Amino acid sequence: MNTNLKISNVTKIYPGCVANDNVSLEFNSGKIYALLGENGAGKSTLVKILSGVIIPDEGEIYLNKNNLKLNSPLDAKKNDIGMVFQHFNLFETLSVFENLIIDSDEQRESLREKIDLIMKKYNFSIDLDIPVLNLSAGQKQKVEIIRCLIRNPKVLIMDEPTSVLTEQETSELFLSLKKFSEEGILIIYITHKLKEVMQLCDEVAVMRRGKLVSVSEIKNENIESLANKMVGQNLKTIKKKKAKTSSDQLIKITNLNFTSEDPFETNLMDINFSVNRGECLGIAGISGNGQSELFQVLSGEIISEKNSIEFNNSYIGNLNPQERREYLMAFSPEDRLEQAAIPQMKIFENVALNNFKSSNFFNNGLINENKIKEHSKKIISDFNVNTDNIELKSQFLSGGNLQKLIIGRELITSPDLLICFNPTWGLDVGAINYIHETLIKINEQNKSIILISTDTDELLKLSDKISVIHKGKLSKIMNAEEVTSEKLGILMGGAN
Amino acid sequence: MIIDINFIGLIIASIMASAVPLILASCGELITERSGVLNLGVEGMMIIGAISGFALMTVTGSLIIAIFGAMLAGVLISTIFAFLTQTLITNHVATGLALTIFGIGISAMIGKNFVGIPGKEFPVLFENLKDTIPLIGPILFGHSIVFYFAFALPFMTNYFLKKTKIGLIVRAVGDSPVSASNQGIKVRLVRYLCILYGGAMSGLAGAYLSMIYTPQWIENMTGGRGWIALALVVFSTWNPIKILIGAMIFGGLTIIQFHMQAIGVRIPVQFLTALPYIVTIIVLVVISRDSRKIRLSTPSSLGKSFHKDN
Repeated sequence: MNTNLKISNVTKIYPGCVANDNVSLEFNSGKIYALLGENGAGKSTLVKILSGVIIPDEGEIYLNKNNLKLNSPLDAKKNDIGMVFQHFNLFETLSVFENLIIDSDEQRESLREKIDLIMKKYNFSIDLDIPVLNLSAGQKQKVEIIRCLIRNPKVLIMDEPTSVLTEQETSELFLSLKKFSEEGILIIYITHKLKEVMQLCDEVAVMRRGKLVSVSEIKNENIESLANKMVGQNLKTIKKKKAKTSSDQLIKITNLNFTSEDPFETNLMDINFSVNRGECLGIAGISGNGQSELFQVLSGEIISEKNSIEFNNSYIGNLNPQERREYLMAFSPEDRLEQAAIPQMKIFENVALNNFKSSNFFNNGLINENKIKEHSKKIISDFNVNTDNIELKSQFLSGGNLQKLIIGRELITSPDLLICFNPTWGLDVGAINYIHETLIKINEQNKSIILISTDTDELLKLSDKISVIHKGKLSKIMNAEEVTSEKLGILMGGAN
Repeated sequence: MIIDINFIGLIIASIMASAVPLILASCGELITERSGVLNLGVEGMMIIGAISGFALMTVTGSLIIAIFGAMLAGVLISTIFAFLTQTLITNHVATGLALTIFGIGISAMIGKNFVGIPGKEFPVLFENLKDTIPLIGPILFGHSIVFYFAFALPFMTNYFLKKTKIGLIVRAVGDSPVSASNQGIKVRLVRYLCILYGGAMSGLAGAYLSMIYTPQWIENMTGGRGWIALALVVFSTWNPIKILIGAMIFGGLTIIQFHMQAIGVRIPVQFLTALPYIVTIIVLVVISRDSRKIRLSTPSSLGKSFHKDN
């Protein structure tokens, strides 16, 4: 049976922002549709309208020619529209089965049978009786998917489903989605990742600033053409000029070890490397192989032996992050909202947190607000942060803007070394380009970077030297020109 | 010295009787908190229940009207709390404290005319069976209906939360109101009902004090039991069965320290009076140490306001 979903002239206006501007789209079952756009392009608003979470100001939705009035998530469910949210809608402390039965009218036993059938059919294996908080992100997503499948949906909407998944889990997800599609479920896939669109989808609709920009078939598109539509301008391809090889050593790590008491952390074993001035050292690896521990050891969140880190001819292994900053190191952690910035604090307050001695941000224990604000404004304009309100709480900045702000803040001291951990994680193409350009500029000023990243393309683009971390051990350090992504892939898998 | 075995039975029964208001109020508050609402107004709702029950009994002469009237009074005052915290999205802690202060004040005002009036005898059940079995007889028989209800309540609460669909919905709302709302659950309605239920149970607990336990009206007669009920909920890690244990320990120590004072044990009175509070909390902390279980039974959204953002 064919399913036809039609969105007709949908508009949703928020104060100060048109989230959806007269959007019309039509979908037919049997195909996988991509809804592509940068953060804030309005794709999430559109799918929330389809799932009844948000009520549009204008416009109609038709499912198989029937006009739907979706005033609540319940209405969407009743009309066989299922949605897997980007941020899971699960009850962490309830068991998997309780999570599934809560919106079902079926009896316990018959529901259990039904779930078992679904899990068998799609090769899911999840213990139904453990609390959801014990599941991995991939398993949680499967629970969400099962929750939709129980209702035999005609439409399944996936909102940025891969942002929390490992690569393995992503390919599993794609297999399942293709199966669902073959079985006649209409799939709408929301993402800003171009590769995934090319891999998975049949048709793509691109949104930009609340407007629908284009609808086309995947076979007529490629990554560049989609990127340009998404960003609305021709993207410069960034190419790093080959750095002059300097032999002026800036940081040297010798026999660094870290043994953790937490069984979920990775131990670091015998780490040795050095970085010269003006160089970018890339550290590749599959996430969870000790990157986070390495970052913490380098930044001083974890203190190590004094002699294990030599920076600018001083031994600093036993110093904390604040003290290391005085030696002109700077840090950009992976988790922007948890580690790098405090979400509930205003932009300028977050800038003040990087409180180094020469800043004059504080006089005799009092906050010098004017100075901080002045400086924050400078960061915002220098680093292209898309707001003019430094009183805004940081949590309201998009990921890209927040990352720009953090990098800007870290560069206040014009540090000799910037250590970044997944700086472009979860960002859209425009912001990624901007961050990459900034990092290249840093190298051009004869400053150094240690770039820990799980994105191989990024590493190959930016690094002068590359090493791979696997189970807490570093591979030998290679010149970037000699490395290919295949070679990195093999090393990341643990082979020599 | 020969100790009459029935005397021990009577002591145990008196311990159980003193635990009744704690069990009632705690089990009510437990449901409220499981839905994510922190109502610190238990003491206030109890005292309102106490004066309403006593006043209605004196005025109407009907015990049934008085008991249900006290519960209704608890519901009404908790409606204020529900309206403020759920509809006007005020802060739970501040609103709850205000409710307690309000309750104590208004009960004292209404109660002015009822000071010194003797209460009525409340009928007890199975009194004729009391002497049939030694020790067990006085424990099991000859109590008011509210007493039996209170001791069944923790088990019913447990069953409700674990086995029924509505119980599951209450827990889900307390865990994540946003997810619940996205699943089509009416978060505000659920929370309203849970608050009103908590009010009814606190009202009943108060009525038990003024009509059955010590049948008279004394200003401020709840004497901090509302706060103990709140503490029991938290330290029992939101587990109704552990509430029963905690309430029994508290009741037990309260009764025993009275007897110790009467016998003339050479321990400062202040220390003896403080003993039940300290020991109850220590015991509950010890039996609830498992951090995984705490994480699983603590309502994640406790005390946080929820408002739909669209």
